[in-house]
Amino acid sequence: MSVAAQSALGVPRARSHRWAPALAGACALVAVAATAEIVLDGAIGHSLLIPKSPSIAGWLPNIGERLGFRVFLIAIIAFTLAYGGVLALARSFTPRAAVALIGALHLIVFAGPILLSTDVFSYIAYARMGVEHGLNPYLHGPSAISADPVFHYVGQDWKHTATAYGPLYTLLSYPLAPLGLRGALWGMKIVALLASAVTLVLTWRCARERRHDPVFAILAVGANPLYVIYTVGGAHNDLIMLALMMAAVSLTLARRDGAAAAAVTAGALVKVTVAVLLPFMFIARRSRAQLVGAAAVVAIVAVAAYAAFGVHGLDVFAALKRDAAFVSTDSFPTEIAHLFGKPGVFPIDHDLLKVALVVIVVHLLWRTWRGYDWIAASGWTLLAISVTSTWLLAWYIVWPLPLAVIARDRRLLAATLAVQAMFIVHQTAPLFVPVS
Amino acid sequence: MSAPTPASPGSNAGRLLFSTRGRGEARGEPRTVRAVETAVLVLVGLLLAVATINDVVLRTHTNHRLNADLRTWRLYTGHAYRNLSVSQDVHTYTTRDVVCGNTSPGGPKERVQLCLTMTGPVVNGRRRAPGGWYLPPKAENLRRYRYACFGQAKEQRQCPR
Repeated sequence: MSVAAQSALGVPRARSHRWAPALAGACALVAVAATAEIVLDGAIGHSLLIPKSPSIAGWLPNIGERLGFRVFLIAIIAFTLAYGGVLALARSFTPRAAVALIGALHLIVFAGPILLSTDVFSYIAYARMGVEHGLNPYLHGPSAISADPVFHYVGQDWKHTATAYGPLYTLLSYPLAPLGLRGALWGMKIVALLASAVTLVLTWRCARERRHDPVFAILAVGANPLYVIYTVGGAHNDLIMLALMMAAVSLTLARRDGAAAAAVTAGALVKVTVAVLLPFMFIARRSRAQLVGAAAVVAIVAVAAYAAFGVHGLDVFAALKRDAAFVSTDSFPTEIAHLFGKPGVFPIDHDLLKVALVVIVVHLLWRTWRGYDWIAASGWTLLAISVTSTWLLAWYIVWPLPLAVIARDRRLLAATLAVQAMFIVHQTAPLFVPVS
Repeated sequence: MSAPTPASPGSNAGRLLFSTRGRGEARGEPRTVRAVETAVLVLVGLLLAVATINDVVLRTHTNHRLNADLRTWRLYTGHAYRNLSVSQDVHTYTTRDVVCGNTSPGGPKERVQLCLTMTGPVVNGRRRAPGGWYLPPKAENLRRYRYACFGQAKEQRQCPR
């Protein structure tokens, strides 16, 4: 147990090396400076990395230049190296210092523009379709509201695509629709910030419950560059899914099985991926209350979703199946295909990847049945989903991180951080030969 | 060792489906399974790392080629425009690229565009441009919009008429 953990658990802190706090402080400063650089340059306006957006960060000082690949990549590499230093020196952080660092990173990103993704505009478009235009977002893409001000900001690839998100999320987003485009955008940013805060508080609580270092745990999640810049920066709804996932873990550790299953089911009705936790929870606890909790949430949301969206809002797996067919250049299957001289992934590769994922999940279920930590098994499954997915985005490899920091199998944390590091390395090509 | 989450005393009555569980590993993780898992993880990690580095190198080479394409277009046309569009051969994955840009100053694709096909290796920072065609303003590089093909593009009938 680390010094910080000892402190959190009421054990006196031991002395660390004299230079360690100074070095830890320097790493924290680099992380904050790199984040500030990305946000300040991003606030200047639209670029290849900053999506077109209503001006919400115009009040930030107009210094620097539009965010380009070179500055962004140098900043993200600096942030990543600083993050490595922060984790290595986590013992030097008091709980207050850790919270201050994470709070500073979150507030800087919150104050700035939407970073690196147009997804938040899709969320707003789907909400406005339902509330302002009386259209079913499970049947129509944002192109059905092409006269609405948000349509201009929706990503090109998603203009004709119906929502892929769960009915609970769509219903939760509806109250933001009447706030206007800027109001809804700020609303989405606030929701993302609050969901991140909940995730981190629950991560702290779970880490302490499992006798892990809670300071290390929240630093590993809350100061993670992919978490801060890509996930919080893009105001992604994955943060709501993560908050509900950690609520489920926390409730399970508190032996409230029914509420835990209800929480993870609610998470799955935001983004279906988190449903993978359910079988591991069931095997680990085998409680009737879990089935009751999960069934109650499914029933309540199904009734509400049917009333709002008809049968189309109930088929949460249809969107998952559709997205599984997409291919992104950053996905590991695409990289492996290139390694073997193929131009990309083919349908047979999709089938092989599905088989590989099934084998991994069956192995993990068997291991959990034999007594393996269900939290680690759930984390491995989320990691396996992101590694075998042909449609990989930065915030997908954040999914297993809160579980990895509280899992009893520390290999999961090492593997998750290694995969994240590889993802960042893969982004760096424009740094070596920028296209001019 | 990864211990299972202890079941609550109150949940015994609610246990479903299975009354027993594998006892052999409940308190001790089998070392052989863990060793095999670790070996597989290391191998998969190595594969992913090699694939990642390989892809970075490939992308670097592609960027190098794209820079040569842009430089060649500027040299041939005498225009130092920045807003050029490059299309790659995404059907047969050759290194044949097409670079299009305005023939007079203006916003992207606002004027008549001149497209050049680029082939061959990068030599002295440039590539060969054996042919090309024109496009009307605001048109994408699709065969139906092309006219006045010249060079190899004319021989290969890249224009509709």
